[in-house]
Amino acid sequence: MRVIDLALKDWLQIVRDRKSALFLVLMPILFTFFFGRIFNAAEGDARLPVGWLDRDGGTLTTRLRVMVETSEALRLVALSESEAASIDARVRDEELAAALIVPAGFTAQTLAGTDVPLTVIVPSTFAGQTASTALQAIVMRLLGTVQTAQLSAEAYEARQPFAGSGARQAYIEDAIRLAGDAWQQPPLMMTAEPAGSTGKAQSRTGFMQASPGMIVQFAVFSLVTSAMVLVLERKSKMLERLLTTPIRRAELIGGHMLAMFVVVFLQEAMLVALGQLLFQVDYLREPLGTLLMMAALALWVSSLGLFIATLARGPEQVIMWSLIAMFLFAPLGGAWFPLEVAGQAFAAIGHLTPAAWAMDGFQNIVTRGLDLSSTLAPAGILLAYTVAFFGLAVWRFRFD
Amino acid sequence: MKALDIAFKDTLRAFRSGFLLVMMFVAPLLITGLIYFAFGSLTASGGFDLPVTRVAVANLDQPDPASTFAVGQMLADHLQDESLADLLQVTIAPGAASARAAVDRQEADVALIVPPDFTVAVLGPDLRAALTLYYDPALTIKPAILRTLLGGFIDGFSGAKIAVGVTALQLEARGLSIDEATGWSVAQGYTEWLQASGADHVHLAGGAMETQAPSRDAPQADSRRGMIGSVMAGMLVFFVFFTGAGSASSIIHEDEQGTLARLLTTPTSRAVILGGKFAASLFTLVVQALVLLIASTLVFDIHWGEPLTVTLVTIGLVVVAAGFGVLLMSFVKTTRQAGPIQGGVLTVMGLLGGLFTGFIPDLPKAFDTLSLTMPQGWAMRGWQIALSSASAAETLLPVAVMLVLGTAFFAVGVLVFRRRFA
Repeated sequence: MRVIDLALKDWLQIVRDRKSALFLVLMPILFTFFFGRIFNAAEGDARLPVGWLDRDGGTLTTRLRVMVETSEALRLVALSESEAASIDARVRDEELAAALIVPAGFTAQTLAGTDVPLTVIVPSTFAGQTASTALQAIVMRLLGTVQTAQLSAEAYEARQPFAGSGARQAYIEDAIRLAGDAWQQPPLMMTAEPAGSTGKAQSRTGFMQASPGMIVQFAVFSLVTSAMVLVLERKSKMLERLLTTPIRRAELIGGHMLAMFVVVFLQEAMLVALGQLLFQVDYLREPLGTLLMMAALALWVSSLGLFIATLARGPEQVIMWSLIAMFLFAPLGGAWFPLEVAGQAFAAIGHLTPAAWAMDGFQNIVTRGLDLSSTLAPAGILLAYTVAFFGLAVWRFRFD
Repeated sequence: MKALDIAFKDTLRAFRSGFLLVMMFVAPLLITGLIYFAFGSLTASGGFDLPVTRVAVANLDQPDPASTFAVGQMLADHLQDESLADLLQVTIAPGAASARAAVDRQEADVALIVPPDFTVAVLGPDLRAALTLYYDPALTIKPAILRTLLGGFIDGFSGAKIAVGVTALQLEARGLSIDEATGWSVAQGYTEWLQASGADHVHLAGGAMETQAPSRDAPQADSRRGMIGSVMAGMLVFFVFFTGAGSASSIIHEDEQGTLARLLTTPTSRAVILGGKFAASLFTLVVQALVLLIASTLVFDIHWGEPLTVTLVTIGLVVVAAGFGVLLMSFVKTTRQAGPIQGGVLTVMGLLGGLFTGFIPDLPKAFDTLSLTMPQGWAMRGWQIALSSASAAETLLPVAVMLVLGTAFFAVGVLVFRRRFA
């Protein structure tokens, strides 16, 4: 009961401090909303804008334009000759992911069998490389239609000659049209199916990264308030005075840790509810798994808070260590960005930290659509880290 | 002279504080270093060193046993080619279920399932087939890499089929029929053209496209350096503002310790006291900015820009950060309030000012506009202009805004302090 009394005391102290609302409520909500919106590619037109400058005006260019316009990956932004001088700047400033310039004579020379390279202005960004790859595939299909037409004409000529150059030209144009239409529904395709026990395609939103990411990040950051209580108690000698009471040392430590656990758990609950209700992040599709991850994360963070309280000599140091812990664990754990986009070495090192396992556990539920069993390993690892940090904290703990 | 004495005293105290030293120098370099390490896969040539995708291939293709032509096996062999070893790690699964299970257990990133009628569809007129990619939905880049590689492969076969199909249609429209030999000839011709075009998994269009980088990209043409520059600029701005507030909080410290009251009993005017503290703050911030600029240049190879441009932006940053620090601390009553206010308010403002999103490409334009409602956003704008090697003239607007804001913040902060200690 003394443990609970002490935890309740800490809890009241935290709740009565108005600054707690800033760190525990306002900032996590704001950051979740902000990063979720930034990462959210599901809203609006997610296709990459590609500048298009046509200096040819021929039939092949017209067909190429149609192929780009009907692309799922690209959005064509038509440019006029008067805008040519600004193309470079617009690509550099990332207003356009890339720009394609079709030179004059492209259609005539390509049909005559002469290679006329198209110019693509591409920045060294991920969007630029993606746009360039998509454009290359489209250009090859277009040139494939020309080759198809040539081969078909040769096959016809092997049987009987054309009536004249005009007839041959008409044959070629007809072949290009037929081939172009066929490429709209190619005979060999790919279908993509996301994994997961739901069995239905989930459209991935930015909140599926931002929501669990901010839960993990602000679980650590919340130690600015909860670890502060213990440090202030030591600094004010209250901790020493408590030792003169019948309360045992283990109860003292347990009480403070319980308070930290409750603070973190309730903050997680708030953010899970927010994610579920406002941002369509389906935590409740596996409620037991979500609960297990919340509890495991709260346990680890509270052991970390206890450890920080042993390191910090004063309030400033609590803030410093909490900030450093947040800035270290959040990126390494994949809370800021998916570890997939980081290098392999970084991702491997990231998985040495508990935050990465917390992210894995939450992502298994909300993004991968897996069940309770997929959270057992991440939760187990978080519990192992809890034991380690708790051991370190108890070893270093000083009551004066 | 008294102002200088007060400035010297405050500066000495700042540089003796381990906490401030960590927040001034260690934290920004540490965070940038982490991001630098995370995105070290970006190559110096400006391209991307793509992550290795683990693929479980279930080849269910059932070609004609009498024929050696098996497209499913060709596809599996293509993916296991040495040239793709840096991109793919391929395992052959005994069946579709085990390939999917590998993805579910996160032992593979993508399962590729080749349908039983794949070769039959490739050879047969008017027949169609589809490869299935069963992928981990937590991933975006790796499935896209595999799609690109597969796209080039199957487009080759699709193109040949389309060529044969179009030839057949056109001949039939003119009362002629297509025989098997003609069909093979067309398909072979298409394949030879494809091979001669130089198209491969890196250059999908062979020599049909000439790629150029946009100009004035040269100093940050290295994609990693460009991104790290943005990240470091964000950390520079955030921690300079943090130090500015920290320096200004010395007034609160002195008030709590009683030394401020004693100082105010001396002939030293409030203006001199505040002026001395502001001078200390300015000096500390200049030193911090210089150290971070030099250290980041040496460690991360960041090219900050033209010297005059960098100087102007640094001056703007220091003035606005110092002024804002005075304003922020003027509303704080105790040191216990100061730390959390400093951390919380500056973190939120930094978020809105775009300081923490330097590594995120292709941000919405609305976000750029929002960031300019914060003084940190203007500082960040100034550094982004400097990093693009622009001339000093192009930074005049953000620098001017920073100077005006810094002066205004300082004036209001001083007013509040004077009323408080009247």
